[in-house]
Amino acid sequence: MYRKRKAANSANLAPWFPPHLQRNIYLSLLHLDPAEGKEKSPAVPESVLRAALLRRAVEDIRRIIEIRSAKQACSTLLQRGSIGDDLWQRFLRAEKEMEEELRDVVMEANALAPNWGQTIFQSANEIAAGTMFQNRLKEIQAQTDVEKEWWEKRRASIQSEFMKELDIPTTTVGKSSDDDAVLVESANGSIRNKKGKK
Amino acid sequence: MEDTETFTLLPLKMDPQSKAITSTSGSRALQEELATLNNIHRSLLTLDSPVPPPPIPVNPKRSANITKLRESGNNEFRKGRHPEAIRFYDLGLQMALTRPAWEPSGLVRDEVAGLYANRAQAHMAMSNWVEGSVDAESSVEAKKVGNAKAWWRKGRCLMEMGRLEEAKEWVGRGLEMEGNEADLVGLLKDIEEKSKKA
Repeated sequence: MYRKRKAANSANLAPWFPPHLQRNIYLSLLHLDPAEGKEKSPAVPESVLRAALLRRAVEDIRRIIEIRSAKQACSTLLQRGSIGDDLWQRFLRAEKEMEEELRDVVMEANALAPNWGQTIFQSANEIAAGTMFQNRLKEIQAQTDVEKEWWEKRRASIQSEFMKELDIPTTTVGKSSDDDAVLVESANGSIRNKKGKK
Repeated sequence: MEDTETFTLLPLKMDPQSKAITSTSGSRALQEELATLNNIHRSLLTLDSPVPPPPIPVNPKRSANITKLRESGNNEFRKGRHPEAIRFYDLGLQMALTRPAWEPSGLVRDEVAGLYANRAQAHMAMSNWVEGSVDAESSVEAKKVGNAKAWWRKGRCLMEMGRLEEAKEWVGRGLEMEGNEADLVGLLKDIEEKSKKA
């Protein structure tokens, strides 16, 4: 009895994942509204449906990865009593829904092309991994402009410091000649240093 | 995700000529996803088969072209023609990064790791430390282990720009990945000596 009430409650728990945009697009394409003034819905070519199903499978891969990495953490936390039963119920429901989702996609794939169900998730997996990698690359390459601006300024300031140091011997003329000699030498020394850094 | 039995009908339209899917919705996520969908649809249409082939085996043509571009770049580099070398590496990178998304992402990683590392070297030969550093980091992002050259190159670039703390940290991470690789150990020593002087 208690179990049953629990199960009923879990139906009202917040979903683990946000709405599945790609799934909604795919299913909306199957139910496209007729254009204005027309009675029949436009026929969406199968190639568009295949593309939309592939996108849906890519999002599924992302969610499977998320669920797998959450499972270990969640079950440990549940054993320690760090999280409530609610969260665990939400998790289990998400896991079950994902299984149904995968079965659904395989079925749809087989309907759109013979045996596609066997490879659609392989392709989706490469797309998901490749997209993540290329996004990281873009982030890294995008630093170039900011870093260049910084480096130009920094180089300019190194150069002007270096010019100042060159000036030192002339501005200190008038002090004792011994001091002068030391200063000239140290100025020279730092010239070599700065050059080495460039 | 919502119930597995239902979905949210999205306001989608299809252009009868181009078959591109659009929406009147103001949601940015939806607009971006539709752009991705239309792109993947276009690339599906270039295939001989209705659906993407499984990731393996790979058509060797693109790999051969990428190798050729990398070798041409290397030849220019050896002749000291660094801007020309960079142009070849650019082309190779473009070709590697525009591989159809469902092809193996591991292969893309391998190919771009080499090209970025080489382009970093060409930039360094022209004292373009910022570009060298960014490219070496990109190479490491693609291949973290067995890529000591790229670890070394970014470390060297940071040192040349006087960013000694960052350089130390970076080379330290490189050593964790590559074991006690001799060139990296040597570079760390150089950086530490410079820090003492500064």
